[in-house]
Amino acid sequence: MAKTYKKPEMINQQVGWCPGCGHGIIQRLIAECCEELGLVEKTVQVVDIACAYWSIDTLNADGIAGPHGRCAAVATGIKKVYPDSNVYVHAGDGCSYVIGLSETCFAAERNVPITMIVVNNGVFGMTGGQMCAATTLVGDKTVSSKKGRDPEVAGKPYDMLNILSNYDIAYAARGALYDPKHIDQTKKMIKKGFQNQMEKKGFSIIEVLSPCPTNWKLSPSDAMEKIKNENEQFFPVKVYVDVDGGDK
Amino acid sequence: MADFKLMKGNEAIAESALRAGCRFYAGYPITPQSEILEYMSANMAARGGVFIQGESEIASMSMLWGAAACGERVMTSSSGPGFDLKQEGISYLASYNLPAVIIDVMRYGVGDGEITEGQDSYWLATRGGGHGDSRQIVLAPASVQECADLTYLAFDLAEKYRTVVLLLSDGGISQMIEKVVLPEEKEHDKSKFDWAIKGYKELDEPKVKVTNLDRSMDYDEYDQMMRDKFAEMHENEQRWEEFMTEDAELILVAYGISSRICKSAVRRAREQGMKLGLIRPISAWPFPKKGFQNLPESVKGLVTVEMSLSSQLGLDVRMATEFKVPLYGYLTSKYVPTTQGIVDYCKDILAGKVKELEVF
Repeated sequence: MAKTYKKPEMINQQVGWCPGCGHGIIQRLIAECCEELGLVEKTVQVVDIACAYWSIDTLNADGIAGPHGRCAAVATGIKKVYPDSNVYVHAGDGCSYVIGLSETCFAAERNVPITMIVVNNGVFGMTGGQMCAATTLVGDKTVSSKKGRDPEVAGKPYDMLNILSNYDIAYAARGALYDPKHIDQTKKMIKKGFQNQMEKKGFSIIEVLSPCPTNWKLSPSDAMEKIKNENEQFFPVKVYVDVDGGDK
Repeated sequence: MADFKLMKGNEAIAESALRAGCRFYAGYPITPQSEILEYMSANMAARGGVFIQGESEIASMSMLWGAAACGERVMTSSSGPGFDLKQEGISYLASYNLPAVIIDVMRYGVGDGEITEGQDSYWLATRGGGHGDSRQIVLAPASVQECADLTYLAFDLAEKYRTVVLLLSDGGISQMIEKVVLPEEKEHDKSKFDWAIKGYKELDEPKVKVTNLDRSMDYDEYDQMMRDKFAEMHENEQRWEEFMTEDAELILVAYGISSRICKSAVRRAREQGMKLGLIRPISAWPFPKKGFQNLPESVKGLVTVEMSLSSQLGLDVRMATEFKVPLYGYLTSKYVPTTQGIVDYCKDILAGKVKELEVF
């Protein structure tokens, strides 16, 4: 029998993302996980001032948008005041791995039991698609690397989950959105992140390979293909750290 | 007699904050304010609060932004180049009108300058934090007792106006040890604000969205609300002390460490027959304009005494007197002014040997 999917009740306003953007799928997964775990009333969303900001009005939950890049520190402040709430970060790769690299690393260093959901789409989306030091692949063309990213000029991307694996944290994993199987897998990762938080196990980070058709100048389906064929080669979909020793 | 303690200015600030109900502190070490951070690290947990030694001033401010959004009474502290880094957070706190108390223990100089006392940050503190266009109340203590009293007051004012309140101390005031009578311990209820994040809300309760600007109202309404708030603070929160001004020929204008030496200078000058007085701004913003409205007929000039390269007070004094009263500046940068130095400078002014201060 066909399965019918409904919009999660927790999403009570329209979103504002571009067609084909991965943020909306991630937003839906977050809402589904909150509902399935019974966490809606306890949830506080922390969003970055860039594309993730579009999610602040969509959820039936208290929300806060901090200075660009400082989400992990803002979430730390909230979680320390309300330790029993479900505090998650929804932010991009520029926020979490570039301007906010320090804040992300030190939330991991302190093992603050928050859940960070980082959207890896290889560009600074909100400002028009500039190169992202952490995630733009060598050779990828952006408006600030018009001939393709040149490692002589701009260095190479880095796998932050490798770096964060060196900290004593609860969970680090990377998911993708390019087919239903991977969307389901990503949802399980996000759910695990929330569970870790409720069980006070420590810091969890879930990075999601996500398309940005607008700034990549690709159709939504071609953008998904690019992730599968190119980005995933450099950014493998897997669990890096699991304090419970689950499948890696 | 009230039960007094001997404390450093920095310790009095920290203890007074705890007694005012501050239960969240995040900061980064920098001389000469590190005792505040150290005191909080030792005493916050016993009050059931949160102490975090942040990885930077910037991150500490963002932690503060999160905790302030939860309605907690929050504080951070810094100095000199660390105060630069607080500006991002001040701007955001101001944007959503979150109450917070920020201590700036001023030191000397541009860049790293020196770790010793100075009065470097008056302009930055009083002309709106961050990239500008906001106003914060700025209180300047001139004794350890005032470190305690004004910190305590700062939390109430921050909440009353939903604003950042800066305590503009300096290395001299913060490092000296004096007797102090500490204020009463009080409890703060963080859940009493309808604008705050709660940590648990029923599905049908209204939710808050703590954002850049307050989007619970429209832009024009927000702008007017901010302007009204600035005007209200300016009207109601001017604080100053007048010392022997009634018959003064020259009135010194100084705050913090400089104002203490000025009091000695006023006394010494009067022993020698020269009538000096002092107006001491206690609120640096709003600048106590009202204190300059009824200057005595005897006044021949005003003299700012400041530990800075430029006269930072000068422009405020010029505006408060509508550029009508001659103004001079005794600027000692990294040296604490001496009593005799001030007296001699004033003698020279009355002898016509000193040029008026040009403010720019």
